Amino acid sequence: MRIRLGAIAALAVAAWLLPYQLNSYAMHVVNVMLLYAILSVGLGLCMGIAGQINLAQVAFFGVGAYATAVLTVKEGMGFWTAAVLALLATAAIGLVVGTPALRVQSHYLGIVTLGLALAFTNWVTNSTLAGGAEGIPGIPRPTLPGVDLSSDYLFYYVELALFAVTLVFGLFVVHTSLGRRMRAMRDDSLAAGAVGVEVPALRMTAFLLASVYGGVAGVLYSGLIGYVAPETFSIANMFLLLAMVIIGGRQSLVGCVIGAISLALVREVLIDYPTYAQVAYGTVVVLTVVFAPTGLAGLPVRLRGLLHRRTTATASSGLTPFRPYDPAGTTGEPDAPMLAVRDLSMHFRGVKALTEVSLEVPAGQIRGIVGPNGSGKTTLFNVVSGLYRPTAGRVVLDGRDVTAARPFALAHAGIARTFQNLRLFSALSVRDNVLVALDPTRASGTWRYLVLPVGVWRRDRALRREADALLDRFGLAAFADNLPTALPYGIQRRVEIARAMAARPRLLLLDEPAAGLNGDEVRQLCDIVRSIRDFGVTVVVIEHNMGMVMSLCDHVTVFAHGAIIADGPPAEVAISPEVIEAYLGESMAMPAPVASEVQG
Amino acid sequence: MLGRVRRPLAAGLLALGVLFVAACSPPGEEQTGGGGENTGPIKIAIANAQSGQLSSLGAWELKGAKLAIDEWNAKGGINGRQIEIGVFDSQGDPTVGTNVARKIASEGFVAMLGTAESAVTIAMAPILQQAQIPNITSGQSPGLIAVKSPFLFLNGPTSLTYDETLAKHVVDQKGLKTIALITNNGSYGKGEHDSFTKALATRGVTPVADQVVTTDQKDFSAALTNIRQKNPQLIFVGAEEVQSGLIVKQARDLGIKAPFAGAAPQGTPVFLDTAGAANVEGTIVSTPYLSNEVDDASKTFAAAYKTATGEEAEMHGAKAYDGAQILLTALKNSNAAKGKELADAIRAVKHKGLLGDFAYDDTGVGIFATSIGTITSGKLVPAAG
Repeated sequence: MRIRLGAIAALAVAAWLLPYQLNSYAMHVVNVMLLYAILSVGLGLCMGIAGQINLAQVAFFGVGAYATAVLTVKEGMGFWTAAVLALLATAAIGLVVGTPALRVQSHYLGIVTLGLALAFTNWVTNSTLAGGAEGIPGIPRPTLPGVDLSSDYLFYYVELALFAVTLVFGLFVVHTSLGRRMRAMRDDSLAAGAVGVEVPALRMTAFLLASVYGGVAGVLYSGLIGYVAPETFSIANMFLLLAMVIIGGRQSLVGCVIGAISLALVREVLIDYPTYAQVAYGTVVVLTVVFAPTGLAGLPVRLRGLLHRRTTATASSGLTPFRPYDPAGTTGEPDAPMLAVRDLSMHFRGVKALTEVSLEVPAGQIRGIVGPNGSGKTTLFNVVSGLYRPTAGRVVLDGRDVTAARPFALAHAGIARTFQNLRLFSALSVRDNVLVALDPTRASGTWRYLVLPVGVWRRDRALRREADALLDRFGLAAFADNLPTALPYGIQRRVEIARAMAARPRLLLLDEPAAGLNGDEVRQLCDIVRSIRDFGVTVVVIEHNMGMVMSLCDHVTVFAHGAIIADGPPAEVAISPEVIEAYLGESMAMPAPVASEVQG
Repeated sequence: MLGRVRRPLAAGLLALGVLFVAACSPPGEEQTGGGGENTGPIKIAIANAQSGQLSSLGAWELKGAKLAIDEWNAKGGINGRQIEIGVFDSQGDPTVGTNVARKIASEGFVAMLGTAESAVTIAMAPILQQAQIPNITSGQSPGLIAVKSPFLFLNGPTSLTYDETLAKHVVDQKGLKTIALITNNGSYGKGEHDSFTKALATRGVTPVADQVVTTDQKDFSAALTNIRQKNPQLIFVGAEEVQSGLIVKQARDLGIKAPFAGAAPQGTPVFLDTAGAANVEGTIVSTPYLSNEVDDASKTFAAAYKTATGEEAEMHGAKAYDGAQILLTALKNSNAAKGKELADAIRAVKHKGLLGDFAYDDTGVGIFATSIGTITSGKLVPAAG
């Protein structure tokens, strides 16, 4: 803490005094460098933090610069008025460019945004409004009372101030609720939706942020250079920006800044050696991508990882026992169904995964769902939790029809789930994994970041305490700062249950929670599930471990070939001939051995 | 905890800061008054795209300018002072251009040659004007004149002149009225489209077809079929060398017989080779530099260029050569002056160059006509009349 504060203070003083040490050429280079730093931070937020491939950042930059140019030169507005309008224009364009992200992701999104960036340069080259190929010269320098901004030296301070503001705001976003939800969405958008993250709105927010950063840089660009032309916003410069973010380390905003500064410096040094510039420049990019895929910002962590490779393996010893919830007593009418599924069918083209399935789970029950592989159990979970839209039928949660609602809406309505193959947010710490689910913040509350940053900060601190209490209850306090991928499988399973419970659900869906656990861990799991039920949460559990199902569940539903073949108390179901047939085949339909297996 | 740490640290840093700021405030460069050394070599900057897509253009420009400077140095320089070249890479990017302009200004160069990219030159102009560094550019966009910098000069005619001369030739002299246009939507094609349409409009001619293609398009059958239906007497092409060649080739394949017309790219060997010599027969070209065999001056230049670089001379090198000659003449005439004095000296130069007779006006343009040539049996020859 002390070292970090000292370093920040020293950097601030150095940045303040920098102009005194530079000639006008170096000053200009630094000014241009700061613009690229702002652009990279914006791109880093969108790509590195939110995981949205954005190859249109250079177009956002262009929209900001061109809008300022058109409004000042052609409309005769003052610089600052034009700047505000330009920012609004860029934000609007950002939302338009972000729309495809609602439907496509990863490299498809890259292609779409790249196409939009190309369309922008093409448009400005051919538009009379944008001055065509000649661009728009003669943009006035901005004025501030008492400060002569026509000097590159004093303009630097304007840029520095805006850079500091945008960087701090970016870091604030990353380290609080909004950034956490974005990172969760980046790591696993499906799981993020299942814990209540409004994925579509956050994707748009990511593009909005990127575009506003692009707009700020664009406005400053037009003020600094006084001229805009299509070449500045070329795809070559988009590549440069991308390289800055990748070399610096896209998951760290400070890394993006470092990348921007170092690449800009390399570019400047190579100006004197034009013959070697391209080769040297390409080499730097290739070397970084090959030897430091996490970028310059990831180097310290990687080095530390190399040094301490042995010590991380012993982390499993910190698991403490689960502290049961206080029983909530009987809440509401005990027999009212918490979950009702009516005539539900789910067809994937020709495959009928579920055919007219109906079941009711009363509040406060632990319901077991069993059946051979491929019998439609997980499909049922996926329909109930909103991942699939059913072909026919209804899903009713506590009297409310929630058929085909979005996963995040269902999470808000009180459904939480775990996944058969763990779906933890791999690049978020265990605490952050829980925080994402714990966080009641909605995308519509994002305005608070502009108006009430202190409130956001306070809320986050309170949430953090709550998360620590929850982790402590689940005996996971020792791993709060670990990445889940570094933990043993059994602990990851428990983290996923803790994350599901963090969302304060009324209905908890557990998809094979005992898979891969040893006997001791299965017993602990049963205790946890019982305590959760006693706390007032209805639990539905898919499980293959029959011993666990028999001892844990109040009621068991058996699936085969997408339909329910048996339903009743565990002991009854276990000896039902249909079940035995489904599990063991016709020839083995003898009740005795199955009963003994069940008991064991 | 925070307070305990921050206070001594902040106090120390503050004291340090005050010390620095007190020493010199506000920031800015102390004016050195231009150095005043009148004995060492004269430093001239050559800025162009040496890397990136436009690097071939930059390489030609560099060779032409360097040839002129080497010739002067071999003859003893200017008043006994050698000329020193500094080569800068603008990467064809306006932002990098402004960096280069600052660098040139801070390193004591008296003048700059280049760049071939109008947008880069326009971005650099305010900085060079402020630093009083005359700049002879190879760009030819009308936007260069709109900058109104007294330190900015062109080493050729503006693009308007190319199309104005061409329109004069085909409409006024040859009397062609049904003219079709095919241009690309890149910066060059767009400029050609606009200025040729304008030149036609002043003569009361409206193109019978106006087809726009993209810069990376390779198949033009749709656009050309449309043009064929209009049966024009002449087709104007506004595209770079290779694309122009492809357009002409495909037009002939479609059975279009009308001759083509265009500016500088249509006079190059690349265009001729791409289209095929038979297909380009009769193409009318408006260019400031017809060929290496027009007169004695161009023959001498072409020979010297070949000796120095091992390559055939072409238009861009010739333009840069002329620009360098004008600058060096101005330096000689003004006894190696700098700043405004040198700019005035450039404006006063009357130079008989490869492109024609230069005489600068207030806008920084020194030459106002191009030559019209026709491709006849694979060679560009001056058009009759």
